[in-house]
Amino acid sequence: MTLQAYIIRRILIMVPLLLGLSLFIFVLIRLAPGDPTLFYLPQDREMPPEVQERVMQRLGLDQPIHIQYIRWLTSAVQGDFGFAYGYGEPALSLIWGRLPATVELQLTALLIALTLALPIGIISATRQYSFIDNVVTSFTFFGLSMPNFWFALLMIFLFAVQLDWLPAVGNGADRPFLVRLQYLIMPALVLALNDMALYMRFMRSSMLEVIRQDFIITARAKGLKQATILFRHALKNAILPMITIVGLSLPRLLGGSIIVESIFAWPGVGRLGYDAVLRRDYPTIMAITMLSATFIMIVNLLVDVAYSFADPRIVYDDKE
Amino acid sequence: MSIEATVSKISVAHISEKARIWRMFRRNHLAVIALTFVILLCLTAVISPWIVPYDPAEQNVRNSLQPPNIEHWFGTDQWGRDIFSRVVMGARVSLSVGLVAVTILISLGVFVGSLAGYYRHLDGPLMRFVDMVMSIPGFFLLLTIVALFGPSLLNTMLIIGLTSWMGTARLVRGQFLSLREKEFVEAARSIGVPNRRIIIRHLLANTMAVIIVQATLFMARAILIESSLSYLGLGAQPPTPSWGVMLSQGRDYMRQGWWGTVFPGLAIFVTVMAFNFLGDGLRDALDPRLRGR
Repeated sequence: MTLQAYIIRRILIMVPLLLGLSLFIFVLIRLAPGDPTLFYLPQDREMPPEVQERVMQRLGLDQPIHIQYIRWLTSAVQGDFGFAYGYGEPALSLIWGRLPATVELQLTALLIALTLALPIGIISATRQYSFIDNVVTSFTFFGLSMPNFWFALLMIFLFAVQLDWLPAVGNGADRPFLVRLQYLIMPALVLALNDMALYMRFMRSSMLEVIRQDFIITARAKGLKQATILFRHALKNAILPMITIVGLSLPRLLGGSIIVESIFAWPGVGRLGYDAVLRRDYPTIMAITMLSATFIMIVNLLVDVAYSFADPRIVYDDKE
Repeated sequence: MSIEATVSKISVAHISEKARIWRMFRRNHLAVIALTFVILLCLTAVISPWIVPYDPAEQNVRNSLQPPNIEHWFGTDQWGRDIFSRVVMGARVSLSVGLVAVTILISLGVFVGSLAGYYRHLDGPLMRFVDMVMSIPGFFLLLTIVALFGPSLLNTMLIIGLTSWMGTARLVRGQFLSLREKEFVEAARSIGVPNRRIIIRHLLANTMAVIIVQATLFMARAILIESSLSYLGLGAQPPTPSWGVMLSQGRDYMRQGWWGTVFPGLAIFVTVMAFNFLGDGLRDALDPRLRGR
C-alpha cells in the first residue's frame, strides 16, 4: 500500500470512529442523572413545572433521545454544535475564545520539557550508571511520581504566599508581556515537570538501545570521533521513538489540562470543560469531546506518517 | 541416572527460576526499599483504625490549626482534626481505590487483549473499539463520567478501572500475537488442546510477568487519579480522609499553615513513587532483557 492510500484509509476510518464516539458520549451524558435546566432557573424559589417544561422544550430535551441525537448530528456535521447552556454563545466560539490561553500555556510547557529533557536524556545515556546518570534517573522517578496538583500547591505556597514573587491565579490577559510571563511561569513549570521526566526517561532508554547496536561499534572501530558518532549516527535513530511519546502530549494543546487550569484559574479549554461537566452543559461537553477526539486522531495519524518518513523501513499494510 | 535424581534436578531447576528472579530483584536496592514500604503501607492500612492516636473525624475547634508538635505530629486542620491520624487513615482509602481499580482494569484489559490477540476475526473490531475509547481525552472522560454519575469513592474506583484498561489490552494483544506463532503453542494445538486452555495455560502464563508489572505501575496511576479527582471535589467526599480531599481543604488554610498542604501531598508522592520503583524493579527482575531501561 502506498503512503497516500494508507493516509486516505486512516482518514476514512476516522468517520465511523467519530460517529461511534459521538453516539457513546451523547447517550452517556443523557442517561446520567442531573438536570441542565437547574442552571436556567432561580434556585431560591419553587418554579411551576410548566416553566421547566418550557425550558426543556426550548433546549430540545423533551424529544426522544434518538431524535435529539439525529438533530445534534445533522447540525454538528455542518459545524454547528449548538449554544452553550447559560452562556448565550455558541459552544464552538466559546471554545475558540479559550483556545489561545490553553495553547500559550501548553506550548510553553512543551518547549520547556523538550529543551531540557532531550539533551539531559542523551548525556545520561552516554554515561550510563555514572553520577550524572543516577541523578537523572532519580529525577525521572521524582517527576513521574509527583502529583501535579500538589506540586502546584507547593509552588503557590512558596512563590505566591510566602515570597509574594508570582501571581497565584489568572493569566494576566491584556497585561504587558513581561507581566504575563510572571503569570505563565508556575503553571508552565508544573505542566512541564511530568512531561520532562517522561521524555528524559524515553530519550535515555532509546539512546541506550541505539548505542549498543553494531553500526555504532563499527563507527567507533573506524575511529570516528565520539561527537560524530553520537550526533550523526546515534541521535538520528534514537530520536525516532520520541515522536510517539511527544505525540501523546500534543492533544493537550487543544484540550488543556483540567487540574492545572483549575488550580491556577487559567481561563483555558480545560476549565471550560470542567465547568461544562458540572453545569450539565451538553452542547459544550459534546463539542469539546468531538474536537479533542478528532485532534487526537489526526495527531496519531501524523505521528505514524512522520515515522514512516523518518524511517523508510516502516511500511504500512493491512496486517499491521 | 536414577529417576529420583532426575526428579530432584527438575525441582531444583524450578526453584532456581524463582530464586533467580528474587536475586535479580534484590540487587535493585530502591525496589527492595519500595517493596518494604508497600508492605508496611498495606499493614498500616489494614490496622489503621486501631493504631491512630486520634479519631480522624473528631472535630475540636479550640484545637484548630495547631502546627506540628508532640501531640499532633502533623498538626491539626481548620476543624482541629489530627492530620497525622487522617493521613494514616488515608492509606486505606488510596490502597482500596487502587486495588479495586487495578483489578477491574487488569481483568478487562487481559480479557479484551487475549481475545483480540488469539482470535484473528475478533482482532480488528476489538482493536478499533480500543482505538475509539483511546481517542477520548482520558481525564475528560473520567471527569465526565464521575461528575455525571455522582462523586463517590465507589464510583471513582469503578470509573478509573473502566477508563484505563485500553493500554493493558494492547499490551496483552501484542504479547499474544507473537506467542501465538511459537512452536509450543502450535504443538499444543496439534494435540488438540482446547483454545481456552491454550489461552490460559500457555499464552497467559507467559504474559504474567508483563501483567504483574502493569498492575504495579497502574496502582501508582490509580492512586494519583483518585487523589486528583478527590482534590477537584469529584472523588471521595469529605469527611472521608482521602489524601486528595485533605489537600483541597489544606489549600483553604494555606496562608495560616503549611502542614495541611505538605503532609497529605507527601503521602501521595511517596506512595506513588514506591509503586513506580517496585514496578520498575519487578520489570528488571522478571524480564532481564529490559534491564537498565
